[in-house]
Amino acid sequence: MKFYYFHLMPYVMDHDEPSSWVTLSNRLYDPKQGQILYNQYLDQLEYAEQLGWDGLCVNEHHQNCYGTMPSPNVMAAMLVRRTSRAKIAILGNGLPLRENPLRIAEEVAMLDVASGGRVISGFVRGISAEYFSTGVNPTHSRDRFYEAAELILRAWTEEGPFAFDGKFYRYHYVNPWPRPFQKPHPPVWCPSQGSSETVEWAAKRRFPYLMVFTPVKRIAQIYGEYREACQRNGYTASPYQLTVNVPIVVATTDAKARAIAMKHVMWVFNVGLRMHPPFWRPPGYMTEASLRRLLQNPPKLPSELTFEEADREGYIVYGSPATVRDKLRVFSDELRAGIVCSGMNGGSHEATLEMMELFAKEVMPHFREDAGVDETAGVGR
Amino acid sequence: MPERREFDVRGTPVQILEDGAGPPLLFLHGAGGAGHWLPFQEALAKELHVRMPSHPGHGGSPAAEWIEHVSDLAFHYLDLLDALGLERVHLAGASFGGWIAAEMATMASHRLASLALIDPVGIKVDGWIYPFLFGMDVPEIVQTVFHNPMAALALAPPDQSVETLALQYRQGTALARVAWNPYLYDPLLRRRLARITAPTLICWGAHDRLAPLAPCGETWAREIPGARLQIFADSGHVPHLEEPEAVARAVLEFCRGKEHAR
Repeated sequence: MKFYYFHLMPYVMDHDEPSSWVTLSNRLYDPKQGQILYNQYLDQLEYAEQLGWDGLCVNEHHQNCYGTMPSPNVMAAMLVRRTSRAKIAILGNGLPLRENPLRIAEEVAMLDVASGGRVISGFVRGISAEYFSTGVNPTHSRDRFYEAAELILRAWTEEGPFAFDGKFYRYHYVNPWPRPFQKPHPPVWCPSQGSSETVEWAAKRRFPYLMVFTPVKRIAQIYGEYREACQRNGYTASPYQLTVNVPIVVATTDAKARAIAMKHVMWVFNVGLRMHPPFWRPPGYMTEASLRRLLQNPPKLPSELTFEEADREGYIVYGSPATVRDKLRVFSDELRAGIVCSGMNGGSHEATLEMMELFAKEVMPHFREDAGVDETAGVGR
Repeated sequence: MPERREFDVRGTPVQILEDGAGPPLLFLHGAGGAGHWLPFQEALAKELHVRMPSHPGHGGSPAAEWIEHVSDLAFHYLDLLDALGLERVHLAGASFGGWIAAEMATMASHRLASLALIDPVGIKVDGWIYPFLFGMDVPEIVQTVFHNPMAALALAPPDQSVETLALQYRQGTALARVAWNPYLYDPLLRRRLARITAPTLICWGAHDRLAPLAPCGETWAREIPGARLQIFADSGHVPHLEEPEAVARAVLEFCRGKEHAR
């Protein structure tokens, strides 16, 4: 199994506001504290490469304390110059959120060239709240996503210049310099929440599918749908097309890990993902069919998730190295996921680095049957 | 009780509630108003043949993918007039429906015996940004839209079933398609209001917090040539729900005057 170190770059804080997104006033953001955090977080990502992680993940979110990375490409650029081996996975750029998505084709190609082909390019729609932060019409989200993806893929693979005349994006000259380093283009990943439309779209193109912060039972269901869709499209999914993103806490004992998880991981759900209810459900972001599926079996709001539920349903992995190994076997052997993306938070920068060391020493080596395999070969394009 | 009828307007199905006899009036509902035949409509139907279509994606009218802009809705209703064989009607609209009605009036005032706008949105008003209802929960919306919150009960959903929630989501989606950004206005409409030649009555709730009388109502009254502005002292954004008899009386009187003038 491959291990990717995933960072949200949260601005961890407690507050009593009804929403950590969109309306949480940025007067609460202290740039001096931010400087310390950004540099610690980048140190952690760089250290992950030294410790043996296969990839480093950044991602895009706007106007919140959950993840202070509105431009993942900026962070990826810093990592490109400070690392030499690990993949740099941008999970992802929110395609519909851009007025000019050709900029994504350009920026990712820049990173791919500068890194010598280490970039993985996630394509996402952005979560519901981003449509309140950016003003983009959520009823256009899906169509803009498909159209921008087509534009970017063509910009990477077709000789320019060519004209592109879409419904949302129109250009007389598509001809970006540089072209990407990887051929035919950087692998594309689809981090998603399991809408059947996206599963089908990704499977058809061999784009790996990434489930973020999802209960194990639902991951199993969506993976099943994805594998079926791959079969329908005439091939068998590689394990490296199935990635799971789950917070991991490892400590010397189960009890210590549990205490850390209760405090620091639950912050992500209970505070980081606390959202004014209308921000979860902008009109038209979902198809009516997806909405009906959701309403039949409404998931609990992250802000209402208890530690016991998160533990029971497999939202988090925590424990001693032996326990974490056993829990990860569920992902590797039962779900047959090829890649685990995970961030860690020990409560302080130093404690986080120690946790990373423990994981690299006591857990990671037990999952290295595929050490010689390039997980990006033949997938994502 | 109104009669429910289904029409096909150039391939787009539309459901209409209608009642009454007399000169025809087309009423365009606001967001959340589809299918609600309330004391306001009943009062109008005592003197007029009132038709209230549900906008595509609202109430009993299915969503129409081709509708991308508010002018599409205006053309849709001009097409409806053709389908119904109505050469000339009294046109009334509230809030979002008032916006559509105003767009229609800029296109085809000659089809209108009169125009009544009740707290319309739809134009960019200097010095005002409409509060963003899409980012509000129900109590916040009620607080913004109603001066008398009890009047909101008339539009309350019957239950929280999947069907009801899906309908609400469909209605929100249909509204957002044309009104998310720019929010609640068409940048081109304000200048075009000067084209309206239909006699126009503008009704405004004195306590409208979504589109306040000053500056919104006053701007409308200034931009539409010869428009008459009537203020309803005990209403917020929806005087036809908050003071239905008084607003109906004003509209009927205005229509009556224009009938006699012909």
